[in-house]
Amino acid sequence: MLSENEVKILEYLKKVKEDTAENISKQLNISIDTVFSVSQLLKEKGYISVEEKKITKYELTEEGKERLKNGLPEEILVNTLGGKEAKIQDIRNKIEKDFEIALGWAKRKGLIKIEKDTLIPLVEHYEAKDEREALLKPEYARKEILQELLSRKFIIKREEKTSYLKLIKEEIEIKPGITFLTPQLLASGEWKKYSLREYNVEAYPPFYPLGRKHFFKEFLERLKNVMKELGFKEFYSDYIEMEFYNFDLLFQAQDHPAREIHDSFSISGEGKLPDEKLVEKVKEMHENGWKYKWDRKIATRLMLRSQTTATTARILASRPTPPLRAFTIGKVFRPDSIDATHLIEFHQLDGLVVEDNFTFRDLLGTLKEIFNGIGIKEIKFKPAYFPFTEPSVEVYGKIEGLGWVEMSGAGLLRPEILKAVEVNSSAGAWGIGIDRLAMLLFGLKDIRLLYANDIEYLRNRKVDINAYD
Amino acid sequence: MPTINVYKWRLLNELKINESKLEDLLFNLKSEMKPIDQDHIEIEINNDRPDLLFIYGIIRSIKGLLKKELGEAKYPVKNSEYLFEVKEVKSRPYALAAIIEGIKLDEELLKELIQFQEKLHITIGRKRKKVAIGIHDLRKIDSKKILYTTVNLDYKFVPLNSSKEMTVKEVLESTDQGKEYGSISLFDSKMPAIMQDDGQILSLPPVINSEKTRLGTSTTDLFIDVTGTSLDAVISTLDILVTNLAEMGGKIGEVRIISPYTDKSPILRHSKVNISIEYVNKVLGTQIQKQDVIEYLKMARFDVNDLGNELEVIIPPYRSDILAQIDLTEEVAMTIGYSYLSPSAYKIETIGSLSDKTKITRVIRDLSIGASFTEIFTFVLTNDSLLNDEYVKIVNPITVDYDAIRNSLIPTMLLFLSKNQHSRMPIRVFEVGEGIVKSKDSETGYKNKLNVVYAIMDSKVSFENLQSPVHYILTSLGLNVEYKKEKNNYLIEGRTAGIYSQDKMIGVIGEIKPEILEKLKIEYPIVISEIYLDEIKKLM
Repeated sequence: MLSENEVKILEYLKKVKEDTAENISKQLNISIDTVFSVSQLLKEKGYISVEEKKITKYELTEEGKERLKNGLPEEILVNTLGGKEAKIQDIRNKIEKDFEIALGWAKRKGLIKIEKDTLIPLVEHYEAKDEREALLKPEYARKEILQELLSRKFIIKREEKTSYLKLIKEEIEIKPGITFLTPQLLASGEWKKYSLREYNVEAYPPFYPLGRKHFFKEFLERLKNVMKELGFKEFYSDYIEMEFYNFDLLFQAQDHPAREIHDSFSISGEGKLPDEKLVEKVKEMHENGWKYKWDRKIATRLMLRSQTTATTARILASRPTPPLRAFTIGKVFRPDSIDATHLIEFHQLDGLVVEDNFTFRDLLGTLKEIFNGIGIKEIKFKPAYFPFTEPSVEVYGKIEGLGWVEMSGAGLLRPEILKAVEVNSSAGAWGIGIDRLAMLLFGLKDIRLLYANDIEYLRNRKVDINAYD
Repeated sequence: MPTINVYKWRLLNELKINESKLEDLLFNLKSEMKPIDQDHIEIEINNDRPDLLFIYGIIRSIKGLLKKELGEAKYPVKNSEYLFEVKEVKSRPYALAAIIEGIKLDEELLKELIQFQEKLHITIGRKRKKVAIGIHDLRKIDSKKILYTTVNLDYKFVPLNSSKEMTVKEVLESTDQGKEYGSISLFDSKMPAIMQDDGQILSLPPVINSEKTRLGTSTTDLFIDVTGTSLDAVISTLDILVTNLAEMGGKIGEVRIISPYTDKSPILRHSKVNISIEYVNKVLGTQIQKQDVIEYLKMARFDVNDLGNELEVIIPPYRSDILAQIDLTEEVAMTIGYSYLSPSAYKIETIGSLSDKTKITRVIRDLSIGASFTEIFTFVLTNDSLLNDEYVKIVNPITVDYDAIRNSLIPTMLLFLSKNQHSRMPIRVFEVGEGIVKSKDSETGYKNKLNVVYAIMDSKVSFENLQSPVHYILTSLGLNVEYKKEKNNYLIEGRTAGIYSQDKMIGVIGEIKPEILEKLKIEYPIVISEIYLDEIKKLM
């Protein structure tokens, strides 16, 4: 492919066969530097030969220019005499400047004679034709004239190098190159006149800001798919919650240590309790079960929910009719010192099954299926205690290279709670902490990386094809 | 969950088992153990089992699981000569006492006994508010009559770990326990006190004992007082204490009580819960025979009477956590071992579905990725200095970085961008997330708000750079979109538009004000847009 300038130069050379770089520059109006670089390219491509030649150049000195304009001294002398004899002293006075030089050259050229103190002209008039021509075109002058001009310091001599460009490959189809194909070129068919310039296809491309999904959000969505595929319906509720749903409905005594101020984030204000019948039943449940005076004021206190079981409590408060399989995935908030394994806001997956004759073994089977869906193939069950479930169980999952890790708390809902919400069948519920599980499954050393605020971390994260299982 | 440190060898020697067997058995009692050093282990105990907070409670339970002993552990009680008179103490009305005789305390056991007392204070005792315990060396008490009454603040005694007499006021003000627990039961400038009939103070519940009755390794007999605000909790606590000490070999001595609620203690309360085999099997999904259920309950240290259709289970004093037959059902399951209850095969019987929130979130995420935005994930909690309009503050934040809940995704997005100025430009990011706003319709007065925020940060950005993708994301959803001049605290006036559809404002778009960029030390211009997905959901 030839560039525009390459084509111009080749077309010029087609006409003149050869020329100097300077001349080509002048003729084609391309800078001399461009001519040099393009000639190098054309030489490499085999179109031309480039020959370096020395050329001699003559330049007029200031004196040379002056003589050419006002006459050489011997001319002035001869023409002053005008063919008549005269006294040397008179003429010296008349000419003054360069008289001695004029006298010397006029004598040497045989233009005058001197007899005692008198100048005798041998010609009437004189013009130094050879010298004048030589001064105008030194490159065509005879050698002896050049010698004379040099010795008289009318000119100086300079040696210069120049490149001679000579066409050596005649049979070429020369097309100018272009970078971009345009709709105009394609529509008009003019693209045929051009060649498409080569790219450096082996170079890396510039940065491109790819649109990418967040890996942890994607993990949460995948969990929702697992639950949906198992026949669960998704529910949600808001972050700000009344203690009634976060604790009271779940049979958590009002003086339970987990309800102390430092274990949840409080919000000022007061909520409105739902239907009075439910409130009465919850009160009765607490007073019979835990043997203390239940305070409705405490139940209306506001907080950032500390467990998504609050959503489960809301589903229960709606007195669902079986069969129901429900789940929620959402944020929960707990005061803690933030470090590599602790966050103050994180996610839980809570589930609820309300079904006639739902047994503890059914619950274990459900948990096994869910963990299998998440990718935890090996689990074991440990007896546990939660105020709102009985029997209660903790699920431990096996993580490669780490061993057994506690992953979930679960159980059958206590009959007292089912009675309070007037549900006449059995029910199982569970909560799974998601962030720490994700951290283990992603192999992260620091849980805060799930919320990394470094975009390069997000851009550079390898996408795991198994994440789309 | 509370943990206790235990001298390992006593446990292994008494039970004649090895460490891994112990670990398995503890697992079935809801507990986990981990080694501390060669001689000690840490055991995690669940909140419903205060009886396991002392090594002898653990031994009693495990003996059942190993079938070394079955049924209720019964401990003889003998009369003592001691009288405990409860006067009116308004701030802490209930008190009981008991005697334990004939125990041997070595250094380890003494430590564990004090640890037991402390763990009971934290759990059942609700940090001594509900229940507090005083354990005294009985031999150092000079009278047979002991009073529970109140004293004035200038009353004097020598508190534990002190060598000089102090007034009650000084004890409350200058000792660690006084500072921590002094205010719990101080009422009318009087403190509850347990004293000999000669007026010498034995303890100042719920704060501190006297130095006079300090326990040591030479102590063989104990006087135990339990005071509190709940009679039920006081009874349970004393029962759990004395039955544990009796399991250790002590003899329980009964104290005569002068009080409105009982005339002797410990109460050693028993109750009965009836349970049917059918119920157990229905809850667990099993087919366990009656004889096996009886056996499992005995292994769990309950006495059982076979009533034919039902079993009558006697709940011993140390198991105040058993309220109903569901609790006994769990005992059966635990005794069998959860690993022996095979999970049922899962059957899909309902159709699953996703919430509208999830559906719109997924659609928006897909479209946003298509428009070359990278998804970010920030916290809902933030610092309130960047928040505008009405927002929710946390009453008890733990750090100023997270003292409020965002009501818009713009501030958390700006914080994210401020941390990414040295990354490769352009930065094109988005987030779908929630904030909280006030709401008259909700029970709490607040509601979540689902938004999506888009931002482009580069050395040069324009309104249109962002308007184009946002516009085509919105029109993809079938919305007719209009833009109207708008003012916004974050955005440059004249370069801000409200985004409308069907005359509803569904979002905002504009360039961030330079003064905000300056405040956040951001040296690049940002164009941002926030779309209100709850509004969009209503239009779709």
